[in-house]
Amino acid sequence: MELKRRTFLDSLLSVGFVSTAVAVLYPVWRYVIPPANAEPATDSIVAGKASEFAKNSGAVMKFGTKPAILVRMPDGDFRAFTAVCTHLECTVQYKPETSQIWCACHNGMYDLAGNVVSGPPPRPLDAFKVNLRGEPGQEEVVISRT
Amino acid sequence: MATTQLSRRLAGIVLAVTVCAAAAPAAAQTAAVTQCETCHRGQADARLSTPARDFALTDVHRERGFSCVNCHGGNASEPDQIKAKAPSTGFKGKPAGQAVIAVCAQCHSDATLMRKFAPKQRIDQAAEYATSVHGQQLAKGDTRVATCASCHGAHGVRLVGDAQSPVYVRNVATTCSRCHSDPARMSGYTLPDGSPLPTDQHAKYTRSVHHAAMVKGNDLSAPTCNDCHGNHGAAPPGVGAIANVCGTCHTVFATKFALSAHSQIFDRSCVECHSNHEIAKPSDEMLGTDKAAVCVTCHGDGDNGFKAAAAMRGQIEQLKAAISHSESVVAEAENAGMAMGSQSIALREASNRLTLARTELHAFDPKPVEAVLQEGLAITAKIDAEGAAALAEMSYRRTGLAVSLAAILLVVVALRLKIRSLPYPPDR
Amino acid sequence: MRPPAVTQQVLAWLDERLDLSGLRAFIAEKSVPRHRHSVWYYMGGITLFLVGVQVATGILLLLYYRPSAAEAYESVQFIVSQVEFGWLIRNLHSWSANLLILMAFVHLFSTFFLRAYRKPRELTWVTGVLLLFIMMGFGFSGYLLPWNELAFFATKVGTGIAGAVPVAGDFMVRFLRGGDEVTGATLTRFYGIHVAILPAITTVLLGVHLLLIQRQGMSVPPSIEKRAKAGEKIREEPFFPNYVLHDVMWWYVALAVLAALALFLPWELGKKADAFAPVPAGIRPEWYFLAMFQTLKLIPSHVFGLEGEMLGVMGFNIAAVLLLLVPFIDRRPADSGQSRVLTAAGILAVTYLVVFTIYGYYAA
Repeated sequence: MELKRRTFLDSLLSVGFVSTAVAVLYPVWRYVIPPANAEPATDSIVAGKASEFAKNSGAVMKFGTKPAILVRMPDGDFRAFTAVCTHLECTVQYKPETSQIWCACHNGMYDLAGNVVSGPPPRPLDAFKVNLRGEPGQEEVVISRT
Repeated sequence: MATTQLSRRLAGIVLAVTVCAAAAPAAAQTAAVTQCETCHRGQADARLSTPARDFALTDVHRERGFSCVNCHGGNASEPDQIKAKAPSTGFKGKPAGQAVIAVCAQCHSDATLMRKFAPKQRIDQAAEYATSVHGQQLAKGDTRVATCASCHGAHGVRLVGDAQSPVYVRNVATTCSRCHSDPARMSGYTLPDGSPLPTDQHAKYTRSVHHAAMVKGNDLSAPTCNDCHGNHGAAPPGVGAIANVCGTCHTVFATKFALSAHSQIFDRSCVECHSNHEIAKPSDEMLGTDKAAVCVTCHGDGDNGFKAAAAMRGQIEQLKAAISHSESVVAEAENAGMAMGSQSIALREASNRLTLARTELHAFDPKPVEAVLQEGLAITAKIDAEGAAALAEMSYRRTGLAVSLAAILLVVVALRLKIRSLPYPPDR
Repeated sequence: MRPPAVTQQVLAWLDERLDLSGLRAFIAEKSVPRHRHSVWYYMGGITLFLVGVQVATGILLLLYYRPSAAEAYESVQFIVSQVEFGWLIRNLHSWSANLLILMAFVHLFSTFFLRAYRKPRELTWVTGVLLLFIMMGFGFSGYLLPWNELAFFATKVGTGIAGAVPVAGDFMVRFLRGGDEVTGATLTRFYGIHVAILPAITTVLLGVHLLLIQRQGMSVPPSIEKRAKAGEKIREEPFFPNYVLHDVMWWYVALAVLAALALFLPWELGKKADAFAPVPAGIRPEWYFLAMFQTLKLIPSHVFGLEGEMLGVMGFNIAAVLLLLVPFIDRRPADSGQSRVLTAAGILAVTYLVVFTIYGYYAA
C-alpha cells in the first residue's frame, strides 16, 4: 500500500512538473518566434505587394496612429500622403475619374503632388516616401516617414 | 547771343528728353534721387518732408525707375522751386478726389505699359472702382471716401504680397477699419433702410472664426473684408448674392442650402443663422428646439420645421453618443494592451460621418441626415463588436492563466505530500 | 528516491572529468536545522527564484524592446499587443519586480529579527543589504523604461530628490538624468544601468552571498540555540532531497502568486510620456519608495535654517549606513541573548515603513 501511494505520488509529481514546465516553455517558445508585423509601425509600414495595387487606384491604410493614402499613378509609380485632410481632418480618398485625391466632407481636392486644387483645405497633404523592395516581380511597397 | 539761344535750345532738348525718359524708363532700375526730394526732405513742415522721406525708403514705383514727376509732373532736375513747378512742366501738385484715380489709372489701366512691368496684373481697377460704393460716392462729389492712395498709400507703396503693405491679406481688415470703425468719419452715411451705417464690423470680425483662422491658424486663404465685399469694386453683397459669396468657399453647404425651402425664404441666406461679421464657430446647440437653438426664432411647437429640427438634432446627438461609447471601448482595450489600430482608424471614419451629417443638415431635411447617421452607426457597431472581441480575448487569456494556476497549485500540494512522505529522521 | 539510470550515467561521465565527488559528498552530507522558525529560511530562496524570473523575462523583453524616447512606448505596446504571449511576459516582469522587492524586505527583516547576521555571517548581511539597494535600483531604473506618463514624472521627481544631497547633489542629478532634464538620454542611461551595470554588480554580490551561505550553513536563531545549550537536540533535515523539495515548493507558491496577480491585476500601458504636458495630479513613486516619499513631503521646507529635503535625504542615507553596519553595532557576543534595543529599533522600522507606505498610498 505504502509503495503504491509512493509511486502514485511520484507520478503525480512528474505529471505536475512536466505540465508546469510546458506551461512555461510553450509561451516562451511562441514569444521568441517573430510576429507577423516584424516591428512596431511607427516610422514605416509595408503596404503590401506591388502587384496588389492596380494602376490609377488608391488605398487608405493605417500608418502609426493616423491613416495614410497610397496612390498608384496611371503610369505605375507609387506615391503616398497622409490621408488626414488639412481642413477638418476627414479621411481623404482617391478619385480615379479625375486622378485626384478628394475629401468627401467639404469637397476638398488635392492633386497627385498633394497640393490643394480646390475647396477649403488650407495646406497641402504631407507626403511620405515610398520604396519598393524585394525580388523583381515580387516587390513589396514600403511607406516611410523620411 | 547765339550761344545763349543755343544753350537755351539745348537745355530745352535736354529737358524734353529728361521728361520723356522720366515718363517711361526703358528698363527697371531704381530712379535717381530727384531735386524734388532733395528740396522737400529738408523742409520743416512734415506735410512736405514726409512724402519725400517715405518715397526714399521702400517704394515699388521708385524701385522700377519711376519718380515724383511721373505722378506729380514738374521738372525733376531743376533745383529752383518756381522753375521746377512751372506750368510748362505739367506740374499737377497734390491730386485730390477723382484726380487721384486719374493719376493712378494713367499707368495702371494702360495694358501696354503694365505688360512691361507686371504682365499678369489686372488693368481694370479704375473701372471696378467706379462701380463701388466708394467710386459712386466720389462721382457725386463726396471726397471723404477712400481712393487708391487711402488703402495703397502714395509714397512708400509696397506690393500687395509684401507683409508690411496695408493691403497685405492680414492687414486688409485693419486698413478698412481705419475709416469704417471711426464713428466721426462714418457719420452721415446710412444703410439702404435708412439706419446709420454701423462701425462695429471690424470689432465683430476680430471675434469671428475667419479671423482666428488667419491669425492663429496661419491660413492666409481665410476670408477678410475684400473676399466678400470685393477689392476695388467694394460693396456689400446684395440680397440673393450672399449664398453665392459664402458658397465660393463653402461650396457643399451652398449646394445643400439651395435645395432647401430656406433658400426661397431667407433674405440674407447664410447670414440669418451664422451672422455676417461675427461668424462664430458653429455648434450643434444651434440646431434643435431648445432655447439656445437658432431654429426656434422662427419655428414654433408643432410646425414641420420644428419637428425637422428636433429630428436632425436628435440624429446628430445619437451619432455623437455612439462615437463616444466606441471611443471608450477602444481606449479600454488599448489600455489593457490589445492592438486597436484599425479600430482607431474606423473611429475616424465615424467622426467623418458626423462632419458629413453637419453638412447634410443644411438642406434642412432629416432624410439625408438619417442616411449618414445610419452609415456612422454601422461603423460604431462594428467597432463595438471588435472591441468586445478584444475584451473577450482578455478573459480567454485569464482562463488560460487560471488553468495554469490550477496546475501550479496541484504541484504545490503534491510536493507537500511528497515531503511529508519522506522518511524522517533520514535513513542513512 | 533513486535517480533514473540516465542521470547516473551523465553524472559518472562528468565525474571522470570534473571530479564531482567532493561536491556530491558535500550535498549528500549537508543538512539544515529544522525548528519552529525554520520556515523563514525559505524567504531568501523565494527571492532568488524571483530574481531568476526577472532575468528570464527581462531577457525575453530585451528581444523586442527599444530604448529610445521615440520608440520605447511603441515597442512595449508592440510587445503586449502583437507578440504572442508578450502580454504575459510583460505582466510577469512587472509583477515579479514588485514581489521580489517585497520578499527582499521580508528576507531582510526575518534575518534581522532572527539575528542571522551574527558572527561569522556579517559579510552575508552586508552583501544582502547591498543587494536590497541594488534591487530597488533595478526597480527605479526599470520603471522608466515603458516611457509612459506616470513613469516619466515619477522619474523626474525621484531624480530631483537626489539633488537634495549637499555638495554632490547637482552632479548626481546630472549623472542620473544624463543631462539637466529627464529626456531620451535618461531613458538610454537607465536602460544601460538596468540591463548591464546592475546585473553585473548583482552577479558578483549574489555569488558571494550564496557562496557564504553554502560554506557557513543556515544560522540558528538565539532562542533555539538556548534550547540546544539546555540539552535539547536540534533536529536536522537533509539538504537533498528534503530541503530542496521544500524550497522548490515555495518557489511554486511564489509562481502561483505571480500568476494570480497577472490574472487579476494586469499591468496597464498608460499614456505615452510627453515632456511638455503638465504633471498629472497625484503623481507618486512605486510603493517601495512611498514611505520615503511621504516622509519627505511631511518635513517642513526649512528646519533650523537647513533645507528640509536635504535633512530628509541625509537621514535616509544615514539609516542605510546604519543598516549596513548592524552586525557591527550589535555588541553582544553571538551566544548571549538578544539586544532589546535592536529588536525595538527593528519593530519601529517595520512599523514606520508599513504605516508610511499605506499613508503615502492614500494621501492622494
